[in-house]
Amino acid sequence: MLAALIKKELLALVRDVHGLAALFVMPVIFIIIMSLALKDYYSPPQRSLRYAIDAQDSGALATSLATAWQRQHGAPETLPSDWQQQLRDGRLKYVLVLQPGLSDELALPSLPTSARIQLLAEPGLDGNLYNTLKAELAGNAGELKARAALAETDAPPPPPDASMHALVKAERFGNNGPRPSAVQQNVPAWLVFGMFFVIASLSSLFVAERGSGALARLQSLGVPRSVLLASKALPYLGVNALQAALMLAVGVWLMPLLGGDALSLAGIHWGALLTALAAIGLAAVSMALALACAVRTHAQAAAIGPIANVLMAAIGGIMVPKFVMPAAMQKLAELSPMNWGLEALLNVLLRGGDVASTLPHVLRLGGFAALMFVIALLLFQRPAR
Amino acid sequence: MLEIKHLGYRYPKAPGAALSDVSLAAKRGGILGLLGPNGAGKTTLISHLAGLLPVQQGEILIDGEPLAAVRAKTPTRIAVAPQEYAFYPMLSVAENLACFAAAGRLSGAKKHERIAACLAFAQLERFADTRAEHLSGGLKRRLNLAIALLPEPELMLFDEPTVGVDPQSRAFVLDAIKALASQGAAVIYTSHYMEEIEAIADQVVILDHGRVLRAGSLDELLSQDAYAMTLAADGITAEALTTLLSHFGTVEQLGERVRLHLNVPPATVLAALDAAGAHVRHAEFGRANLEQLFMSLTKRSLRDS
Repeated sequence: MLAALIKKELLALVRDVHGLAALFVMPVIFIIIMSLALKDYYSPPQRSLRYAIDAQDSGALATSLATAWQRQHGAPETLPSDWQQQLRDGRLKYVLVLQPGLSDELALPSLPTSARIQLLAEPGLDGNLYNTLKAELAGNAGELKARAALAETDAPPPPPDASMHALVKAERFGNNGPRPSAVQQNVPAWLVFGMFFVIASLSSLFVAERGSGALARLQSLGVPRSVLLASKALPYLGVNALQAALMLAVGVWLMPLLGGDALSLAGIHWGALLTALAAIGLAAVSMALALACAVRTHAQAAAIGPIANVLMAAIGGIMVPKFVMPAAMQKLAELSPMNWGLEALLNVLLRGGDVASTLPHVLRLGGFAALMFVIALLLFQRPAR
Repeated sequence: MLEIKHLGYRYPKAPGAALSDVSLAAKRGGILGLLGPNGAGKTTLISHLAGLLPVQQGEILIDGEPLAAVRAKTPTRIAVAPQEYAFYPMLSVAENLACFAAAGRLSGAKKHERIAACLAFAQLERFADTRAEHLSGGLKRRLNLAIALLPEPELMLFDEPTVGVDPQSRAFVLDAIKALASQGAAVIYTSHYMEEIEAIADQVVILDHGRVLRAGSLDELLSQDAYAMTLAADGITAEALTTLLSHFGTVEQLGERVRLHLNVPPATVLAALDAAGAHVRHAEFGRANLEQLFMSLTKRSLRDS
């Protein structure tokens, strides 16, 4: 009996082209678009920004500063006559103004008290990028001043590869997990979104089944409620598994072909990944069942499912990564089951987490799934009028 | 086969009872016609028999055993063919039958045998691989019927099974239902088409506002209202005509005409009208048909407003 009802559910799903598109095509498109759109967010393009230098100081140290900057950022544009206008409208990303007296200032064995270098950026330049450029300029100038001061002493000249930059070593702390990238963030995010989209598909078919009397007929034939709910839950858990395989495959193989970064699964804990995916699937399908039992009309099913999905995604860090949200919004994000799923996946895919470290989020998802399933059972027992 | 005794039901938060003190019986080999305007309680009654609503008051017995116990043991003894197309439009005719056969616990050779038999009974063999959504209204009704017959039920409920079909399909469905009863099944048939009930029902129950207004064989019901005379007369006011006729039976206003349910010979009425100076423009005399009885019992006011 269960097998026949599952077969019916799968046939109905396979023949619903729009439902399939929402479940499989939409998340793939989101992954591709968002990964390509946010590609530079994780590796800012300092080297490719169009800039110019207004060298008002032609001294040796000012020239050294300009040369070092070119080594790090590529050749500048020749300073155009209308550079202010180009800067205002964003054609030039920034202009370095090396003011008269810069070389003298860099040669002095004292700390500066007034500005000799101006960083003029276009109005729309990303704040993080702006700060990075400013810090890099200060660092370069500091190194030149230190070299000038050293040259005045009896100390031996520094080796060619010596630099203040050698003093600092930066790395993302953790284990040998993959490097953060737009793909590494977006695949789990839109995978979670897609998995929860079974809500729309499942509730729409459920409403049609109830409206036509087919559900009443099945109940009249003595099909237990638990079998009816299981016949809906199991195929959609299968759909969730297929979605996960497809989205991961898109990240690993398709994204590099499209010019994006590849999703790396090297070194991840597969048991933790499967546990997290199973918990997300259970939560998504149980919520879908509860909503399907709660709604009465096609209009409700068509509106409530997608609205719930989009709201959970908006506050849950799917559309906007949680780490860029202010503290209050981050607290709000933690209320969204999609966020629990996303954090569980990011823990595995970015931080190399094992099963134990995913448990806090997995348990939350499990509890949510159990609650939703109980609600679905209770709503299913309501007498229909 | 089926005996309903003093059945009452009130939906949660509903102001009044949907069913109140309803008693009726259906026997094997017979067809019980269930009549009632919208909101009369037919669907609530059918929902009870389909096992979708619990019994709150009274009892429903199948061969003397409570319905709940019968349904728990063999739910397929009772089948409901709802007025909606209660199947899956995206599945083919054969896929629908296979799905509902499995839901009715049929399997193996028996399942294939029943699917073939029901396809043949409903003459749907040519459409086995056609998706249900592409069938005509008549074919959909036949598929609805075929699904109901899959588990070989002993009691079948047909809820307005001929709505929206052409006359040929209607005749086919009615013949099929009569054949089922003649093969020994108990059938309950609801319809708004009185001529259908008159054509196939042995017993009739008229339900309104959740109560049984009349119950019995068709002959008994129609004879209860004896004879009726429909009249139109000139030379007398409507008020005077009603007052005069009320001495001879129950008067019912039908627009410009009046219907009199007689308790005297018709000649007496005509003589009285003549004596009162009225000129009879129209007179129709005979036994009331089912529609007239139904309308007089349930009144003419619209029920969906």
